[in-house]
Amino acid sequence: MTKFNLNGRAVETIDSDDTPLLWVVRDTFKLKGSKFGCGIGQCGACTMHLDGIAKRTCILPIIAVEGKSVTTIEGLGTPENMHALQAVWTEQGVPQCGYCQSGQIMSAAALLETNPDPSKSEIDQAMKGNICRCGCYPRIKKAILDVAANRKVKKLQLSEVATGPFPEDVS
Amino acid sequence: MKGWNLTRRGFLKASGIVGGGLVIGYMVTRDGPPLPVADIEGALTPNAFLQLTPDNMVRFYFPRDEMGQGAMMGLTTLIAEELDYPLNEIEVLFAGAHSAYNNPDFNLQGTGGSTSMKVHFLPLRQVAANMRALILDAAASDLNVSRSSLTTHDAQVIAGDQAFPYAQFIETASAAELPESATLKPKTEFKYIGKEIARIDGQAKSTGTAEYGIDIEVPNMHYAMVKRCAVAGGTIKSFDAVPILATVGVTDVVAIDSGVAVVATSFWQAKKAVAALTVEWNLPELANISSQQIKSDYQQALQDEKGDSYSEGDITQGFTAASKIVEREYWAPYLAHAPLEPLNAVVRIENGEADLWSGTQFPGVAQGLVARYAGLPKEKVRVNSTFLGGGFGRRGALTHITEATQTAMATNKAIKLIWSREEDIQNGFYRPASLMKIKAGIDERGKISAWQATRVGGNLTPSVLGVVLPGVLPRVPSGITNLITGAANSVFDGWSIDAVSIEGLIDDYDFANKEIKHITVDHGLPLTFWRSVGHSYTAFAKETLIDELAEFAEADPVEFRKQHTQDNPRLQQVIEMAGQAMQQWQNELGRYVGFAAHGSFSSYVAEAAQISIENGGIKVHKIVCAVDCGQVVNPDVVRGQMEGAIMFGLTAALYGNIELENGAVKESNFHNYPILRMDAAPTVQVVIVDSDEAPTGVGEPGLPPIAPAVANAVYAATGKRLYAMPFRL
Ligand code: FES
Ligand code: FES
Repeated sequence: MTKFNLNGRAVETIDSDDTPLLWVVRDTFKLKGSKFGCGIGQCGACTMHLDGIAKRTCILPIIAVEGKSVTTIEGLGTPENMHALQAVWTEQGVPQCGYCQSGQIMSAAALLETNPDPSKSEIDQAMKGNICRCGCYPRIKKAILDVAANRKVKKLQLSEVATGPFPEDVS
Repeated sequence: MKGWNLTRRGFLKASGIVGGGLVIGYMVTRDGPPLPVADIEGALTPNAFLQLTPDNMVRFYFPRDEMGQGAMMGLTTLIAEELDYPLNEIEVLFAGAHSAYNNPDFNLQGTGGSTSMKVHFLPLRQVAANMRALILDAAASDLNVSRSSLTTHDAQVIAGDQAFPYAQFIETASAAELPESATLKPKTEFKYIGKEIARIDGQAKSTGTAEYGIDIEVPNMHYAMVKRCAVAGGTIKSFDAVPILATVGVTDVVAIDSGVAVVATSFWQAKKAVAALTVEWNLPELANISSQQIKSDYQQALQDEKGDSYSEGDITQGFTAASKIVEREYWAPYLAHAPLEPLNAVVRIENGEADLWSGTQFPGVAQGLVARYAGLPKEKVRVNSTFLGGGFGRRGALTHITEATQTAMATNKAIKLIWSREEDIQNGFYRPASLMKIKAGIDERGKISAWQATRVGGNLTPSVLGVVLPGVLPRVPSGITNLITGAANSVFDGWSIDAVSIEGLIDDYDFANKEIKHITVDHGLPLTFWRSVGHSYTAFAKETLIDELAEFAEADPVEFRKQHTQDNPRLQQVIEMAGQAMQQWQNELGRYVGFAAHGSFSSYVAEAAQISIENGGIKVHKIVCAVDCGQVVNPDVVRGQMEGAIMFGLTAALYGNIELENGAVKESNFHNYPILRMDAAPTVQVVIVDSDEAPTGVGEPGLPPIAPAVANAVYAATGKRLYAMPFRL
């Protein structure tokens, strides 16, 4: 049994200790925004925040999450109440197939939390763990720069985020 | 366009089916199977694509697939324009499987070949215009005014200073005759077409709410993974299910056509169990083959020169007229598609009916495959399409649908089948490897007098046929579909007219005397379409050789291309446009430029690349891309597709390589099959030709010129010509 905090709520799961956080979040807690792309920490599609730090959750066993706070794309913002990055992503038509974008946005959000005004090469360094097979890189970079420039990023206290959808009937 | 043979009044509800929480009723056509559209009380459904509900909502049954290429945005734009309905308020639904949604270019329900806008631009506008005309007719009758006194604005009929929602006229419209050829809007009145509007699927994809096949869950669903032979075509000799069945969570271990399926109550349990399973295989001939062998077999075939050819002009005379003749060979390897969403499918079979949830490029074929392996008539199989997490051709080869269906049948469970990334890279379908030789001559005046090209490799068409046919003909026994595929293989053996395997190798330029030869050598690795298909390798050969010829002719590479496109003015125009942009880069220190142009999917693209050599590697800085894709429906989608195709092509040019060792693919995941990442991505500037020509392809044409543009830039930087992909300095 592992207890942790998911998008501001206390949760617990009986998934086996070695089950990666990604699958616990997707299949036990039914939050499908975080994606499976490679399973070996190479693509970033599964990126969530663990105590505010961007993590590849396909290789993060659930036991390592005990007592920690997890934020997923659903906890970052919703269609009704988008995070500044999500709003600019939407306005600027960043996504193509869209499959990588939850991970891209989570990586970008973590970057802007620690570095509100990143240079292009700092963006490259922070984002190069996220593959976009559709090749949206120029748009992703521009969107991050624009959000930073507009200083629109809400000072998000990750531990307080509780706006994301959450199933009531979790196991 | 003909209205669908739909009995508009008194829809017959054939069945009420629960699927993914939605209650879908079937409507019945006068002939043929029912249309898979929602049966909504009091709705107007004049055709297979559109539905107006009593609350004035419009539902659009989107007939293609959305894999990132923007077809959903593009086609919905056409509907909004001609129906005069707010674009962002249209409810877009993935159409189910039905021949009404066939792609006219394929006569199948399929998305590929950069055809979506080309085939739907006029027909879908007509469908929407007819519906608007029908509503206007009904309004004129209901309001008892002349039809010409009425107009529309944003989902409302305007009569003088009064406005009425479209839905107010549903009852009368339902009884009226559907106009068949309502006048389409002139370009000058376009509100949405050609305008800068953000994609309608952007928000769902930015908030994690867009639904992909891998996100689907149905009650009591079990997870399946399949152990396949490392060598394509291997069959099961033996396996021991007993220890695996004792693993926590595992419920079934069953043999299916492609391997052994392990079924468990969670994905993680299935993944661990399938890794622990050992299977003995009967290995096919391919198991004796490694990449080196393939290359040398191709070389040998090239020397033997057996094969069929096609020519125009007089190639012998062309070479006689030449003052200089060059002969070059080019290599392009096998490639995997690696869409970021691994392949997956959910199949549920119960009570003589089946449901499939998956994002595919061929929903109609998928329906046939489920029908075939579930032993059901096609009409009893519902296809619930989702967004595709990338396609690039890979989601046209649907063995994963077969696997999920066979597993569901063998276990009597609802099955969610997921491929791992390793399976995706190692057990898939591949862009064919190619060895190309081009011999070309230029005359005294610097004109190309002869162009003789040969391509050696596997043929795409019969390989694709083998994948598609069992789904297209679900009732035809596999022996016969195998026979047809086999026949296709021998028909195509050495036949130069498998257009998709050689496309682009002798086209584009004014070659008065040209010849193409094809030599089929196929070692049996499964092949399928890969973004831009044959063009993905032929443009590399053609455009790097053109660059060499320009040098021999002591001509500027852009001018040389312009001189040789007198008969191809649209290609010439993009060459001119990209060439101008390229001029502005020429003085940057340590940076070198290269140029290439290529026509594909009826569109024309020229690209210039600026690179430098850093730490012994190629660093690509900037790209300019000029494209003529006819009339543009959404400029931002066009730009996005050019950007994306360039990144996709750069991955192939710089890294892409699938190698075989004893018949098995050596690469396995993104650490050894790398994909371009942000720190290596160039900036891209896209210039679009303002055109009134019919819309043409956008998803693929941006790809072919990028590899040769970079190769030509590398030559400028290093003096070394590149003859093989991926590039090694
Ligand atoms: S799925 Fe986790 S990094 Fe790729
Ligand atoms: S949008 Fe398709 S992988 Fe990034």
